Amino acid sequence: MGGNGLSSREKVMRLLNHEKVDFVPCFSGMGNITMDGLEKYGLHFNEVHQDARKMALAAKATPELFGYDCAIVPFDFNISAEVMGSKVQYYTTEDILYPSIPEKHIKSFEDIKVPSDLENAGRFPIVMEAIRILKKEIGKEVAVGSWVLGPFTLAGQVTDLTKLLKDTFKKPNEVIQFLNPLRDILIAEAKLYQKAGADFINVREMGTPVDLLSPRLWKSMIQPFMVKMREEIGSPVILHICGKTNEIVHFMHECGYDAISVEHQNDVAMSRQKIGPPPGNLLFGNLNTFKTMVQGTPEDVVKEVRAAIDGGVDAIWPGCDIWPGTPAENMKAMVETTKEYGSKKKKEA
Amino acid sequence: MVDEAKREDILKRLSDGVVYYDEEKVIVASNEAVEDGLDPFDAIMNGLAAGMEIVGQLYEKQEYFVPEILMCADALYAGLNILRPHLKAKEMKERVKGQVVIGVVQGDVHDIGKNLVKMMFDVAGFTVHDLGADVPLEKFAEEQVRTDSNIIALSAMMTTTMMGMKKVVQMIKERNPEVAIMVGGAPLTKEIADVFGADGYAENAGNAVQEAIKMISRLREMHAKRQLEAAP
Repeated sequence: MGGNGLSSREKVMRLLNHEKVDFVPCFSGMGNITMDGLEKYGLHFNEVHQDARKMALAAKATPELFGYDCAIVPFDFNISAEVMGSKVQYYTTEDILYPSIPEKHIKSFEDIKVPSDLENAGRFPIVMEAIRILKKEIGKEVAVGSWVLGPFTLAGQVTDLTKLLKDTFKKPNEVIQFLNPLRDILIAEAKLYQKAGADFINVREMGTPVDLLSPRLWKSMIQPFMVKMREEIGSPVILHICGKTNEIVHFMHECGYDAISVEHQNDVAMSRQKIGPPPGNLLFGNLNTFKTMVQGTPEDVVKEVRAAIDGGVDAIWPGCDIWPGTPAENMKAMVETTKEYGSKKKKEA
Repeated sequence: MVDEAKREDILKRLSDGVVYYDEEKVIVASNEAVEDGLDPFDAIMNGLAAGMEIVGQLYEKQEYFVPEILMCADALYAGLNILRPHLKAKEMKERVKGQVVIGVVQGDVHDIGKNLVKMMFDVAGFTVHDLGADVPLEKFAEEQVRTDSNIIALSAMMTTTMMGMKKVVQMIKERNPEVAIMVGGAPLTKEIADVFGADGYAENAGNAVQEAIKMISRLREMHAKRQLEAAP
């Protein structure tokens, strides 16, 4: 099998370092906690978002149980919005409910407040501590990654998204003015996670697929922000967008990230053509995290993993957060198929 | 009364105003429709709604995106606000196709899709009970009982919140199996809707109302059949 003798972490880092490799890693830059993992450490879903130790345990259970090549924190989308003053609702029910922000508290650019001491703002220190714990406890074996939102997605968390979307037409300059400070908070957040020891950062600008914004608007309004974030955050850094991305994948690639990540609606073979060959150009994707991973059988998972590898992805990487209720046999099928089939295909090539 | 040429002219301007998100144009044409005595229902359905149907097609063709649809929706509502008060009470009653409870499931605050679907129900003459976003699951069932609505429409935009829908569907079907449930939202597919036990699935705002109307007629058939069976 490919990657003989290499740890999960070494595999991920060699790939992200654009070295020629003979394996396909199975990892992600999004949440991967599972009910099996929570059970392993006696945790409830609703207690892993505000406690560094519990957050780290929930994250590390996935590589421990399934041989996944990474551990990722945090899990919910509200960390940076909370730092900006959004009131986050934490659910206490037994259901798997991610924290959310019921009220968009920012009306306009003038309302945006950035704390002076970001390192101690909101849950940033909790995520940083969770990264340190993961690095200490499993950091030699598996890659420890983290992620930040993109500024447009964050804007949708803190302000009225309907108005924001209309303003991309009516008042584009005001939108850009609004996004600038958000971008800077997100860059600072990424740097804090790097400082804590994160091996890579994934930028999730998931509010900007072709389902929502035109490719032209993506190029003119979103791309400059993505370029700036890439420059400031530095390698290894990945750009992820879920939803429809076939029409913007080349624009994503132009931003210069080490890799781009797409979900199941992306035609990865076509994207491969558009962005060019590895190891210089990396494409991650694109398992369907619900239809295949939750509802599918292990055979469905095997089929989809093979299709993605045949399509030319450089890492099998679920297209979104792994749903906690994903069956253990599907997790195993994903990891094992990636290792075996990925190495086989690499050898053939 | 308006002659056919005049009618066509007003309807075209209403439709164009919606398609080109020109609120002013819609307002002028709507006022003209009222002054000239054009049937307001005709103006809503064959002017405003017809325009929105074109908008839906432009979205499918990726010529329009969500910001454009939202601006078209503003134009549509500008016309609806003028025309709707002129629908006669009797007509309203005849044309009311049903009542719908609509909302975004708990944990999810993304309400754009929900608002577009709501608009299509408004246009088609439904009475809409809008619960907003991040709605606790029991609330859907409670509101259905309170209002005796025949449709419940659920929306979720995130994979992480979609699972709540399954619970709502179960909860409602247990209490009242005759309520039609439709689900929609970005992470959903027809297959997932089936697995959740929903009666209808709306991929986008455009086909939500068609799906809802189909559901209502299905309900009527069920009632008719039951009455026949109950007859001695």
